[in-house]
Amino acid sequence: MSIDWLRHQHGHPDSPLHSLPAELKLGFGFGVILVTVLAPIEWSTWFICAALGLGVTALLSRLPLLFLSRRLLALSPFVLGVVLVNAFEPAGRGHWLAVSVKSVLCLLTVILVSNTTPFSQILRALKFIRIPALLITTIALMHRYLFVLMEESERMRRARASRTFKRGQRFHWRLLATIVSQLFIRASERAERIYDAMCARGWK
Amino acid sequence: MSPAIEVSDLRYRYHDGTEALRGLCFRIEPGECVALLGPNGSGKSTILLHLNGILPDRLPGDGTVKILGVPVAAAALEAIRRQVGLVFQDPDDQLFCPTVQEDVAFGPEQMGLDKSQVAARVLRSLAQVGLSGFGHRATHHLSHGEKRRVCLAGVLACEPSILVLDEPTSDLDPRGRREFKALLRGISATKLIATHDLEMAVELCARAIVIDRGQVVADGRTVELLNNEPLMFAHGLERPHILQHFHPESPAAG
Amino acid sequence: MHIPDGFIDGKTAAAAAVLSVTGVGFALKRVRLELPPRKVPLLGLAAAFLFVAQMVNFPVAGGTSGHLVGGTLVAALLGPSAAVVVVTTVLIIQCFLFQDGGVISLGANVFNMAIVNSVIGYAIYRIVSHWLPGARGRIAALAFAAWCATVLAAMGCAGQLAWSGTIPWTAAFPAMTTVHMLIGLGEGLISAMVFAAISRARPDLVIESNEAGPQERAGELVLYGLLITLGIALFIAPFACSWPDGLDSVAEKFGISHRIAAALLPAPAPDYQIPGIHWAVGATALAGVAGALIVFGLALGLGRLLVPKTRNGVPGNQANP
Repeated sequence: MSIDWLRHQHGHPDSPLHSLPAELKLGFGFGVILVTVLAPIEWSTWFICAALGLGVTALLSRLPLLFLSRRLLALSPFVLGVVLVNAFEPAGRGHWLAVSVKSVLCLLTVILVSNTTPFSQILRALKFIRIPALLITTIALMHRYLFVLMEESERMRRARASRTFKRGQRFHWRLLATIVSQLFIRASERAERIYDAMCARGWK
Repeated sequence: MSPAIEVSDLRYRYHDGTEALRGLCFRIEPGECVALLGPNGSGKSTILLHLNGILPDRLPGDGTVKILGVPVAAAALEAIRRQVGLVFQDPDDQLFCPTVQEDVAFGPEQMGLDKSQVAARVLRSLAQVGLSGFGHRATHHLSHGEKRRVCLAGVLACEPSILVLDEPTSDLDPRGRREFKALLRGISATKLIATHDLEMAVELCARAIVIDRGQVVADGRTVELLNNEPLMFAHGLERPHILQHFHPESPAAG
Repeated sequence: MHIPDGFIDGKTAAAAAVLSVTGVGFALKRVRLELPPRKVPLLGLAAAFLFVAQMVNFPVAGGTSGHLVGGTLVAALLGPSAAVVVVTTVLIIQCFLFQDGGVISLGANVFNMAIVNSVIGYAIYRIVSHWLPGARGRIAALAFAAWCATVLAAMGCAGQLAWSGTIPWTAAFPAMTTVHMLIGLGEGLISAMVFAAISRARPDLVIESNEAGPQERAGELVLYGLLITLGIALFIAPFACSWPDGLDSVAEKFGISHRIAAALLPAPAPDYQIPGIHWAVGATALAGVAGALIVFGLALGLGRLLVPKTRNGVPGNQANP
């Protein structure tokens, strides 16, 4: 997995969508998802309006089309599963249509909101809805050190690969397990150093 | 006037029992800029962590550490950490907030300052390190040099009278090193810099303390110590090029 | 197993959300009480670790690969409540930043993967490692616990899908459970290998989570047990037995409209089966029991494999060899 995939913000930072206030985007997005999930499939007006609205928003966000389609395609195994199972049921057609439409619309909403909103603003919104401080700190630290750990794991993998001459699954698994264990140990040690750094600047 | 830092007979053992510090003694007067030199594993980082009470795990430890005349003890920790600003070796350990603004504001906020004072300090510190306008930037997206400067800003925002730095220029490219050195030169606090960058030691620090295997092996004028080749080689160091090709009188301010 | 939005309906999502909020709230309280301040950053770092570890490809034959989910592993390393917090954090970031799992479905995902997976995994790990002594016992216990936790979380997921009417129980249960019985093998193996490697390099990191006294842990586990039982009552039991029929007739007696009752209650024993496979549910249940016994045996063997005996016969994995 390349580090680029982890960059969750794409598109031009000066698109109209990027400049909207985060609270508006998050609140509106949540509302759209909630209604979409709760609405019965018969309410075709809602779904058509939502689809059109999201399409326009996607254009406004200037997110690359390829990126959007690839993320949306990730839903296909789930939808396929439901389709297959319900294919045998005479009344099943309604099911898979409902599931496909709803999941695509909801996913598109989340993609648009999260890719045009800086993470610190998402954190602020979570704080606003009274998520406990310990959880917020944990989420913030996870986000902060995600890339650091990702880079460490890439470096370890490359270093090990440079010295690997044997082939074979069992050896490979042992190697990977060692890398994962090293990642945890390094993460623990770094956590201790972070604690020291926090104390050094007066954290209680 | 009491010395800024006074260390007497400091001893410390790691968790696995190895002796890290064996009876260290040194004094640093207010306003001095001192380089802490020594090979890897000599105990430099361990010493620095004692200066604001992070080590030992249970205070008081073995030996005395006094900051501005006050012994480092559990009761005095808050006051001591306001006076001693420690810049860690790995900027990723110190930069734990999501944005630059939040990270630089962390210290002042912990000190209990109100919002406007915090904001003022953040602006001032970022300007001091040449990163005005970086407040909204995400910390994980910064370059290595920028991270080091934000770390420095975060410490300066606490307005400490003593600045302690652990290998501040390691991993920096030549320009980054030059810029960082210029920054340090402009800061008027008492400075103790643990470093492998011997050129920087000559340029910035009039005095140097050489540590090896947990003990002070030399303490004196930087230029004299670094010109002493047998001493340098005996303790994993060397005579920097800057002294080999220029007059021994260093360009450092007195 | 991240359920996207649209696959579960409003009532299921709401019920799961209530259970999850309660569970996570409780976990946060326990963590604040138990965890020394020194370890607070470890929660965030463990979450980052888990995310990165989940991306490592463990190649299996034929181009497929296995991945660690890690709920049980983290529970064994940090304790059950810390694991709930850590996995919840991972799920939140995966949902909001990487759109893996839906926003409305977050409650269900947290219930399955943070609460059921971590807590049941931890409970089984502690119980089994109590019977099987030593380092080998811990490894075997972890492997077995991780497998069980994976399968049970999958059952919760199947129940949620069935209660929403997305897929009938008779299809969801066999499909999800059998697939995860296989996936669970990978999870058990990888968790055990990683745990063994950590114990070898830093035994001090491993010992800590086993410090909490049995009394405290029992109390903690009781509350989680209640939540999980509620979850089972909502998401699984109705399909395994016929209490919805009973509840339906009670609703009628009280004059609650049949349609409303039918919308809210789980579907009664379904009269629709996949053609030719009407024994799927029973067979899966039997396979599950047999599978558990086989996996337990495999886990014991794994313990022996991963923890070599030292010369004087003591397994070479103690803190002071």
